[in-house]
Amino acid sequence: MTTAVPQTQSATPSALTGIRVVEFGPYVALPLTGRILGSLGAEVIKVETNKVLDEMAFIPAWSRGAGQPEYQRGKRRITLDVRTDAGRDLILEMVRISDVFMTNFRRNVLDRWGIDFPEIRRQRPDAIIMWQTGLGGHGPYYTYKSFGILVQHLSGVSLMTGLPDEPPGVVNTSYSDYHTGVFQPAGIIAALMRRNLTGKTATLESSIFKSGVATCGPALLDYQVNGRGPRRRGNRDAWAAPHGVYPCAPDPVSGDADRYVAISVADDDQWARFRKAAGDPAWAAAPEYATRLGRQRNQDALDAAISEWTQPQESAMLMDTLQHAGVPAGIVSQGTDLNDSAHLKSRNFYQDTQYWEAERGVKATEWVEGESVSWSIPAKMSGTPIAFGNYSNIGQDNAYVFGDLLGLTSGEIADLEAAGVIY
Amino acid sequence: MPRFDEYTGEHLIPPYRILDLTDRRAAFCARLLADYGADVVKVEPPSGDPSRRLGPYPSDSSDPERSLDFLFYNTNKRSITLDLETESGRSLFRRLAADADVIVESFDRHYLYDRGIGFDALRADNPGLIMASVTPFGNTGEWADYQGDDLVVMAASGYMQITGEPDEPPVRQGNEHSHYPAAQYAAVGILAALYHRDFGGGIGQHIDVSSQEALITYYTDAHPALLWRKLGQNVTRVGTNSTLVIPLGAYPCKDGWIAAGVITPREWDALAAWIHEVTGNDEVLSEAYRGGNQDRAEHIDIITALFLEFAENFTVQELFHEGQRRNLVFLPVNEIADLLADPQLADSGFWYDIEHDDSAIGAVKYPLGIFHSDDVQARSRPAPTLGADNAAVYQGELGLTPAELATLSADGII
Repeated sequence: MTTAVPQTQSATPSALTGIRVVEFGPYVALPLTGRILGSLGAEVIKVETNKVLDEMAFIPAWSRGAGQPEYQRGKRRITLDVRTDAGRDLILEMVRISDVFMTNFRRNVLDRWGIDFPEIRRQRPDAIIMWQTGLGGHGPYYTYKSFGILVQHLSGVSLMTGLPDEPPGVVNTSYSDYHTGVFQPAGIIAALMRRNLTGKTATLESSIFKSGVATCGPALLDYQVNGRGPRRRGNRDAWAAPHGVYPCAPDPVSGDADRYVAISVADDDQWARFRKAAGDPAWAAAPEYATRLGRQRNQDALDAAISEWTQPQESAMLMDTLQHAGVPAGIVSQGTDLNDSAHLKSRNFYQDTQYWEAERGVKATEWVEGESVSWSIPAKMSGTPIAFGNYSNIGQDNAYVFGDLLGLTSGEIADLEAAGVIY
Repeated sequence: MPRFDEYTGEHLIPPYRILDLTDRRAAFCARLLADYGADVVKVEPPSGDPSRRLGPYPSDSSDPERSLDFLFYNTNKRSITLDLETESGRSLFRRLAADADVIVESFDRHYLYDRGIGFDALRADNPGLIMASVTPFGNTGEWADYQGDDLVVMAASGYMQITGEPDEPPVRQGNEHSHYPAAQYAAVGILAALYHRDFGGGIGQHIDVSSQEALITYYTDAHPALLWRKLGQNVTRVGTNSTLVIPLGAYPCKDGWIAAGVITPREWDALAAWIHEVTGNDEVLSEAYRGGNQDRAEHIDIITALFLEFAENFTVQELFHEGQRRNLVFLPVNEIADLLADPQLADSGFWYDIEHDDSAIGAVKYPLGIFHSDDVQARSRPAPTLGADNAAVYQGELGLTPAELATLSADGII
């Protein structure tokens, strides 16, 4: 067994100092919730097992766990096979000393393991329970499976994105997992306040499906009031023109030709600034572009002219030029830009972290250590620390949790390891 | 400890007083807090929040009280008007801020400071004050003064880099997605700061949220910076497919699109067997396609062709339910109409019916039930009309006389 890493201590108490959370479940949304609560000072105990690894350690295939710190930093990570009687007893003991129990397992699975919510309540009557599912914990689809990327389609967002003659437009990410992951800490902290003020506890159910639909926005009202579905209009907007992305010169460092700058001109004042920044070329002085209405009516020609102007330019320099002139503009950032960004560096957004290279069939404690990078929680708080947090390997905090918190002797822990319970 | 004599826990969030000075960039933050119980007072300029002048409107007839955009982002809030460009307006604002728990704002970073009502000035009268500022690029750093709307933030975060068809330019997500991540993080920060203040012996603080950073975290599983460091590659667009799960995508069928994805070896075997049942095509059973999801990467074009030949035999609903019965992740590609009729959402306590006094709008379902609970309910009041709560706040709370309120109103301050 490896030694437990002491978690970061700070002179100033964190916002959620004294709160203990049991996190029970894999993937994206639930671990993200745990990471956020941990960064705010809660003690998050993550229950995992070497017997069934989180698939996210192998997605994308090249990452081999290098991306896991982004979801798992700042937690106490333990191994426990809850399918054994002793394992079940231990997770329930953890619940007794915790404020929050959160899980993303389906009802039938939890029932089978005997860690159902009535049992949680018996162990800890005032526990806050956050139960996250894909499509819903009850109701007609409660046994159905889903995952975040596809919920963009299910939640109505993909048919708002792209152009009508193209397939539904999506972003290559687990879209609504992230919404769920950041909604949940808000619900949990609020439930803790409510508990402190009223003595009442709460069970909250969230789903990836609902979190996605919540982001459909005013289109939900437009359909109900006007009977009209959203128009898929690419990058165009009823309130600004030009409004789009424009091709730029290949990247001077990487040579990548896939370089664009986004430009958004909302009114005539910004258009004047744009013209000035562009050196007031003849095409921009055309009278049909003088008003917003005119620019909207002539968008195809306008976009073609702007593209011709942007094509030879370097995107990052063009962004700076336009921004200094007061025109909203932004490069379409690639990994190189994010990694090298002076702006993000000055905000300490990405930080270096170690990780362990995930390998199927090999106990995590045997995994090889490597160097990775992880973002910091994007709410910078002036009065309480937002901890980047230590990164424990799977099972690295077994001695702390089973020994220091639950009071097992090292002999008892060794026996449970030998029996495959703590594994 | 806050004194909430009336609070019995009907709503998740105690009735903290929150002053909402946001535009659409962060209006969702204050809405979330209002939906779950906070007393959110939207402070609008006398001409009204700019989003009142954004459509869509009922029957496309422009009316600042009927902007569906404003109605969506401002449920369960109250509204007062106040001109922060005048000294008497700012003076009233200082009095409001002295009794507020939270201010959430999305002005450019100099706006409130230049007017003498920045965080430091306001906290001098109210040490418990919590202020959250949501800006495109944060309050510090080289880009702190750069402007950004939804498009620009979506670009600069890199989110657009992986949205759209492979051979076409990056595309924006059509739901103005950048409005959500920063607003959500700001809500978490505010609640944590309140918890610290009231239950951890702390005082107030300032929270700085960058929309760019927030949106970067919403595509973490693409790992853009990490991919560059590890392999010297940049993430890019793959249409409705994915580099993370293979096969995955949206595929046309008889009456619409079905979304489907295969992660585990067992799922692939189940899908291949089903495709074979339907098409009789033996090729799908090939050993070459079996195994973990990344093992199929080089065969993606053939697999997609096999899938399309299979899917065209079914309707969306047939594929959805039969796919799930076979333990496969098949999901319908929904339009708004489908969502409003969806039996699962109806059963999940998700929609809240809000009745508008205005008959041009009537009864409308809002997506307020992000958390479903037998223990707490969300609130279901429509967004406020402009200045609806002027009398309640200025007379009832600040103690202005009706005559003083009338004078301020005549002077265009309220």
